[in-house]
Amino acid sequence: MKKFGPALIIAVPIALFCWAGYLVLSAPPEPPFDWRLHMTEAQHAAAVAPINHLYTRAAYTVTWAIQLGYTAWLCLRWWSQKQR
Amino acid sequence: MKKLAIGLYLLMTLVLLVWATIKALDPNLTPNDAAQGEMFRIIYYHVPSASVAFFFFAINLVGSVGYLASRHNHANLAQRFDAWALAGAEVGVVFCTVVLVTGPLWGRRAWGIWWTWDARLTTTLVLWLIYVSYLLLRRFADGPQVQTLAAVLGIFGAVDVPIVYMSNRWWRTTHPAPVFGGGEGSGMDPSMVGALLWNMLAWFLWGVLVLAFRYRVEREQQKIAAAEADQALNS
Repeated sequence: MKKFGPALIIAVPIALFCWAGYLVLSAPPEPPFDWRLHMTEAQHAAAVAPINHLYTRAAYTVTWAIQLGYTAWLCLRWWSQKQR
Repeated sequence: MKKLAIGLYLLMTLVLLVWATIKALDPNLTPNDAAQGEMFRIIYYHVPSASVAFFFFAINLVGSVGYLASRHNHANLAQRFDAWALAGAEVGVVFCTVVLVTGPLWGRRAWGIWWTWDARLTTTLVLWLIYVSYLLLRRFADGPQVQTLAAVLGIFGAVDVPIVYMSNRWWRTTHPAPVFGGGEGSGMDPSMVGALLWNMLAWFLWGVLVLAFRYRVEREQQKIAAAEADQALNS
């Protein structure tokens, strides 16, 4: 149980980092640069909407990963000080 | 009583963070941007993180100046200033890292590139590097002058903060003009301002909490170091 707490507070930020990376890597391919030749504005908007959604979620996830990662490191430091 | 106050503050901050995130992400509460669509929602984490980072770098500046001013006559006060300076730099770097990670994600979708060497991005990266250097100096250098050197570096680092802030006013940049106070045409739709302000408040309160925690850890570290030094002298 004593090791479970530190393991959890380290695992959560790492999982969030991995999740953010997965969101970006799993984004569908972008429409080609000359998309105006092949599709309408509405079709383009529909094609980029899921990519924008994944990138936005990735930005939010990575923010939490950084903040929780730092807080986890701080908690571990505090625990090690208390043990000393 | 003190624990209760800290617990209440923590609870209030977490509730605010959840509320601010819902406000930022829910299209029923805050509409999508007409031009950028959902991507624009990154602003609700990106801009508050930058503002809070600047605030904590200012704490580092005050701590650094305070340390240099008091180190000869008020040793205990100087140590307190030093702990505030270190805590400010460290928490500031964390928020600045958020800015430097969320920015490229936004840039990739808005500009088609992850990074460009424009004035705002470059000065922000330089700011981050200065404070990372500060933290590395504190971590790896040894000797009686480390705190003084770090304080001087902290003061020089703070010079970059107004340069970052003014960069997209002074130079033509790929980075957009300031949302607030950027002159004609700047500003935000009133339906979006709420989400930004809630996130600013929530992340500020979170940052202050983490800063206070970091300060406490550093003060404890100073006490342990002083006790170890005493022990070494006496043995």
